[in-house]
Amino acid sequence: MNRQEKQAAVREAINKVPLISSAAARLLELSGESEHGIVDIVNIVKYDAVLTSQILKVVNSAAFARRTEVYSIDHAVSLLGEDMVVGIAMSEAAALLFDKKLEGYAAEAGSLWRHDLKTAIAAKIIAGYARTKVNGDLAFTCGLLHDLGKGVLSDFLRNTPEKIRRAMEEKKVPDYAAAERAILGIDHAEAGYELSLNWNLPAPLPQAIRFHHQPALIDEALKPLLYTIHLADIVAMMSGVGTGSDDLQYTLDTAYEMYIPLSGNELAMVMLGVEQEFSKAAAVFLGKEEEASE
Amino acid sequence: MGKTVVVGVGEFAVSNDPGEVIKTFALGSCVAVIFLHKPTRTVGLIHVALPESSISPDIVRDRPGYFVDTGIPAILKKMAACATPGANLTQGMMVKIAGGANVLDTNNTFNIGKRNVLALKKILWPLGMGPVAEDVGGSISRTVSVSVETGKIALSSPTKGVWEL
Repeated sequence: MNRQEKQAAVREAINKVPLISSAAARLLELSGESEHGIVDIVNIVKYDAVLTSQILKVVNSAAFARRTEVYSIDHAVSLLGEDMVVGIAMSEAAALLFDKKLEGYAAEAGSLWRHDLKTAIAAKIIAGYARTKVNGDLAFTCGLLHDLGKGVLSDFLRNTPEKIRRAMEEKKVPDYAAAERAILGIDHAEAGYELSLNWNLPAPLPQAIRFHHQPALIDEALKPLLYTIHLADIVAMMSGVGTGSDDLQYTLDTAYEMYIPLSGNELAMVMLGVEQEFSKAAAVFLGKEEEASE
Repeated sequence: MGKTVVVGVGEFAVSNDPGEVIKTFALGSCVAVIFLHKPTRTVGLIHVALPESSISPDIVRDRPGYFVDTGIPAILKKMAACATPGANLTQGMMVKIAGGANVLDTNNTFNIGKRNVLALKKILWPLGMGPVAEDVGGSISRTVSVSVETGKIALSSPTKGVWEL
């Protein structure tokens, strides 16, 4: 198969990814709205029986160590908070992508979910350091979705990780996304962007997915959000939670300093905060205390 | 197969059980410091994440191993307790380090890996425990395992396979 044929095959695969539930799509949309509360979330969740049961299962799981059973979805949503509910909705809605073994990236099953969850947590924390206000809930959602394209591309990148590593060592390609484009004619950010359009995700989610490695290319108004996601992705990789062969194989766009003036100590505080929050979230989503990456 | 002791971020483990392997996964910019004390056959491994504890003294109480400046004294104290009573740990101690990676084209702020390595050397050298081997830097997330019986250290990554430190 030549590159054009591969690109067409990737696009066909993107079009075959099942649509996400309307509840999940509406929750993603809500995260970008400035005025919303727990009531709005409950009003979306309660009409989706599968999501409701999953949320009740999580809130009654050992990770929360509650003495009394929670039966009401209103109570469960208020106990979990918006980020956790969005996380549960997406982990269900896109489980086919999040949970698969990423053979094309030499990564175990669940790696994509762990990386995206850690990026989401980092994005929400980093949003607090932006010069102009960045919506933390929106940053969380963008972080959660930013690498979904890898779930599609992985199948087309089998047997390429070592070849790409050699090409990068020989400086034939500047970063992993460029290597993906050289092989397939499309990279994971573009694949995720096309998938998000198929899912009818509202702006700026598709744009955030598309430009998370190239935040300089987006409209000025979206740059603070995009640099937030860009840095969050890097923080997740630095903390050892990447997606296999492409881990750390991307460049830092230092223009972030214009939008997010992080000092060395502040970055250290971010990393510490991310570790603590991820540990709690992992206890819920992975059913155990997080212990590095296994 | 012996028991594998997994060390998470900010944790450390010490053992003189020859059946054990101490392992820590995907270091990223964190650094694994491996202490091999041949005279007492005691091995320690710590997974440090940040150079200085002064940014958050509260964390030190629960997880001293998170920082270089509090982690190294903590693991050495544990090694002293694990080794033969009265043993002089500064004699015959061999130290190796791995990790401290970063993304491509990073800047000084984001080069936490390099800062971790420098902070480690600053604390290890005065103790007479400067690393005798290191595999640090670059853009490669390393997994480390050390056999307590042989003291052999294996590094691995998704695309480079396994190699010895």
